[in-house]
Amino acid sequence: MNPPLVHLLASRIAAAILTLGFVSVAVFVGTEILPGDVAQTLLGQSATPEAVAGLRAALHLDQPAYIRYFRWLGRLLTGDPGRSLVNNLPVAELISSRLPNSLILASVTALVCVPVALVLGVTSAIWRGRIYDRVANFLTMSVVAVPEFLIATLLVIIFAVHLRWFPALSYAAGIVSLDQFFRLFALPVLTLSCVMIAQMMRMTRAAVIDTLRSSYVEMAVLKGARPMRVVLTHALPNAIGPIANAVALSLSYLLGGAIVVEIIFNYPGLARLLVDAVSTRDMPLVQACAMIYCTAYLFLAMLADVASVLSNPRLRY
Amino acid sequence: MNADPMITAIEAPPAPRRRLRVPLAGIIGAAIVGIWVLMAIIGPYIAPHDVGALVDDDVFGQASWALPLGSDYLGRDVLSRILVGARYSIGVAAAATFLAILMGGTLGMLAAVSRGSIDMALSRFFDALISIPSKMSALVVIAALGSSIPVLIGTVAVICTPGAFRIWRALAVNVAALDFVKVARARGEGTGYLIREEILPNIAGPVLTDFGLRFVFAVLLLSSLSFLGLGVQPPNADWGSLVRENINGLADGALAVVMPAIAIATLTIGVNLLIDNLPGRWSSSGEH
Amino acid sequence: MRNKDEIEKVEMAGANTLRLKDAFRRGASRRDVISMLIAAGMSAAAASPIATFAETAYAQAPRRGGKVKVATTNNSTADTLDPPKGINQTDYSRITTFYNGLTTINEAFAVQLDLAEEITPSERATVWNIKLRRDVRFHDGSPLTSADVVYSLSRHKDPAVGSGVRVLAAQMQEIVATGPHEVRILLDAPNADLPVIFGEWHFMIVKDGATDFRVANGTGPYKCKEFRPGVRSIAVRNSEYFKPGKPYLDEIELFGIPDEPARVNALLSGDVQLISGISPSSAQRISSAPKVSLFETRAGAYHDLDLRLDLTPGSNLDFVLAVKHMLNREQIRRAVYRNYAVIGNDQPIDPTNPFYDASLPQRPFDLDKARFHLQRSGFAGQTFPIVVSPAAFNSEDIAQLLQQAGRQINLNFEIRRVPADGYWSNEWRKHPIFFTSTTPKPTADLAFTLNYKSDAAYNVSAWRNERFDSLLLEARSETDISKRREMYGAMQRLVRDNCGVCIPVFASYLDGHASHLKGLRSIPTYGLMGCNFAESIWLDQ
Repeated sequence: MNPPLVHLLASRIAAAILTLGFVSVAVFVGTEILPGDVAQTLLGQSATPEAVAGLRAALHLDQPAYIRYFRWLGRLLTGDPGRSLVNNLPVAELISSRLPNSLILASVTALVCVPVALVLGVTSAIWRGRIYDRVANFLTMSVVAVPEFLIATLLVIIFAVHLRWFPALSYAAGIVSLDQFFRLFALPVLTLSCVMIAQMMRMTRAAVIDTLRSSYVEMAVLKGARPMRVVLTHALPNAIGPIANAVALSLSYLLGGAIVVEIIFNYPGLARLLVDAVSTRDMPLVQACAMIYCTAYLFLAMLADVASVLSNPRLRY
Repeated sequence: MNADPMITAIEAPPAPRRRLRVPLAGIIGAAIVGIWVLMAIIGPYIAPHDVGALVDDDVFGQASWALPLGSDYLGRDVLSRILVGARYSIGVAAAATFLAILMGGTLGMLAAVSRGSIDMALSRFFDALISIPSKMSALVVIAALGSSIPVLIGTVAVICTPGAFRIWRALAVNVAALDFVKVARARGEGTGYLIREEILPNIAGPVLTDFGLRFVFAVLLLSSLSFLGLGVQPPNADWGSLVRENINGLADGALAVVMPAIAIATLTIGVNLLIDNLPGRWSSSGEH
Repeated sequence: MRNKDEIEKVEMAGANTLRLKDAFRRGASRRDVISMLIAAGMSAAAASPIATFAETAYAQAPRRGGKVKVATTNNSTADTLDPPKGINQTDYSRITTFYNGLTTINEAFAVQLDLAEEITPSERATVWNIKLRRDVRFHDGSPLTSADVVYSLSRHKDPAVGSGVRVLAAQMQEIVATGPHEVRILLDAPNADLPVIFGEWHFMIVKDGATDFRVANGTGPYKCKEFRPGVRSIAVRNSEYFKPGKPYLDEIELFGIPDEPARVNALLSGDVQLISGISPSSAQRISSAPKVSLFETRAGAYHDLDLRLDLTPGSNLDFVLAVKHMLNREQIRRAVYRNYAVIGNDQPIDPTNPFYDASLPQRPFDLDKARFHLQRSGFAGQTFPIVVSPAAFNSEDIAQLLQQAGRQINLNFEIRRVPADGYWSNEWRKHPIFFTSTTPKPTADLAFTLNYKSDAAYNVSAWRNERFDSLLLEARSETDISKRREMYGAMQRLVRDNCGVCIPVFASYLDGHASHLKGLRSIPTYGLMGCNFAESIWLDQ
């Protein structure tokens, strides 16, 4: 480890804690600003003023906002994220039943998407302007332009309803075999890939082509290096920064943004938990989800920045 | 197919080529974008039917002379709805994307040139912004500002900004570390000059690609925001919402769901073909 | 009407139920039946023929065994196993799987005794004595006693519980155990409908002192093996269920799929065997597919357009009448509901209700009349916002059709879509023109009392009508059926002509099931057999 990297990591971790604090305040203020509260959403159409008032008192929602915030923060600092206001279950329990599902879906999708996108991006940069490049770009752009819910529904109609190759629902409990695992994850991963590959592939292609213009690449060209070699040894390493950032952005989307896939395939992940929590104004649960999402994002962003620094010697001081 | 000059340069002695000539693919892209922009402007005036009128007793009707693209889930004319929706999908998404790029791009380059504490502060601010649940942000916006087209544009822009910031900053950081930028800095050039004259021209290709992608996301984001109630109000609908409201016709291959999806796809492909084949220093295909 | 014939056959079997059969023929509600049962002392013997016809209605004997997956419309962390907290069909379906009520409502819209063996009113239906069955056990093995009933009913009054039917529970002034299996309830006013209220999902009976609802400990046909809010529940057969032979299945897995196309696809792909909440535009897909069937429940559910009578423009009766004439009900029924609906007449009593007044003239779609009233109101040429939301079903579509009609007579409606999220607490009833989704009510009295009486909590259009209020109270204590029919008829007319609630159609509930899933019958309180399918369904394999 070189000193600048250590410095970078240290300052990033310090900054991350500040960022998390900022996010928690923003989320808290957000849930306060939103009209309606847990008591009203729990009572739904039967929310008469006195029923709401009673339930509010029972949930301690009648206390001033700052007291509720600091009480929550105090508990969190002792490692207790509190209980859901909606069903009184410990937030930790709710999260721990969903987080692994989200992580599994995200990892499988990342394992499929990232290599495919990088290979497509680099190869279409090498053969840019050729028919291969055109077709690859046309296909990825057409796919990314289709709304996610349409892709998911279409895949279900074709592969689950008509062909019956895969199930229409991907509930993950009790998977016993690799074959079953594959069948359950095929459609959600395919849907997410359609959305994700285009962005990563396009940014990789653009970044690689961009570095091909720089003087040292021209130098290599003049020295007579073969095009493939120029791209792989000269252009690609210098494009790693932007590529890593595009990948990090896409991957962070997998944790919090897989909502459409979670809804259509009835997959119990974190995104739906977060959306539920926002709908019911369940502050401790929204906070916990936002914290996890923020941490994951900061971690990915930090990895991307470390990759940029390592790949570009000029940035190391 | 246009043979790329960079490749030619690598493989063989440079052949004389006409400069600044837009390749065929670029012309196709420009034509598609041009047609859609025209539709966005004149769409409502040439739509054969009222956007909300029930013109077919049948729902998800097939194409006919009277209804060239069939009817939707209530029996309305799909063609008219797409024509009227064009200005929402294209106008709002383009405005929001420009705004997002303007904010995210400028700040990204500023962060890259300034480094140090400004970089740190901006980066962490956008990290925080991206971590706030977007559904919550959208609902807060509706509650605080109500629903209108300017608010919609602003919301889409704000949601797209952190991503733009991150990509632009990453690209600019790489360039900012190059020798000619250091020389310019040593000459005592100001931040504005560095961004305008040294950084921007050298990252133009990839940031245009980023623009193209962000535009697509903005078009698709509209329909989810409309669904939440922030956005285009009935009977008007953006293209994504047209797909959503007719999704039940998908199993029967109803034109009402297929056609708006094709509209989005052609627009997307058009924009990105155009971007990929821009002439001169904006080219992302290597020409410079 | 196969069921009805069988109902009659069964009823013929018991000589002392002949009176009941006549009552049904005359179109008596279960309330009339109750008053007769009350007169007869309502013993278990008298009640049992009604209780048994449900089972004999099958042409085929139910098979035992098998597992079923059921997908309903809602799924969230707010899912609950605590009956008072239930808020949607998913909750109600789970509640009826794990618990029982003192009574239940059957397909003839009649009250049937369930955990109660006898319910007897005295002092003009102000004091009610309930005798419980002695052969009922909770899933933990403990017997059902009066303490459980007292606890379950009293909980609704505690604001901290957050009961959805606190308003209904408020009338029970005193709930006391008078013996190990006897409970006495003192009401603040006479109410002959109390047994109906006990059949409501929220009033199902839990174990005395129960506070932890992470699993259900009820008396119901299935035991709770797993429950994860927002994910699923797994119910396994309760082999000690007090109804002989029931339940039929080994296991029911229940979860919600909020996305309608996804739910329909899950049924068509065979991943689930029973789904609820099918949109009319998917009905064709299900009825034309092999091995699955569409199941329609005609009930008095309606999605009403409401004009507040205490705000402009609804305060002008001419404006209200103009809007009511602008609703093209045929078109709404065809385009929005694909004919899975019955035309409404701006009053809440639907044709399945025995007190439906068929002689009340149907209000037509008449733009000339609408124009006339609009001119008189002085609002012609103006623009008014209509608030719609995905939370109020079909509101967006109905509003758009109304908007079209408005254009033809120079009245503009500006549709304002608001989030489903928080609609009921933040938007509903806060605007001059908005939408409501109203669920069927088991009696005409409840339909009027809960939504139309001047001081009703859900009197959404803020309608005040003294004559209506007094008729309502009179009808409640009137025992002569023809007189009551007259009163309810007059009330329907009053609502139709004066109230700010516009009811274009009564929508059917559409469910879908694998064809080998049997035993579903329609109970007009909700889809999925009034959410009470668990103990009746079986698999024919």
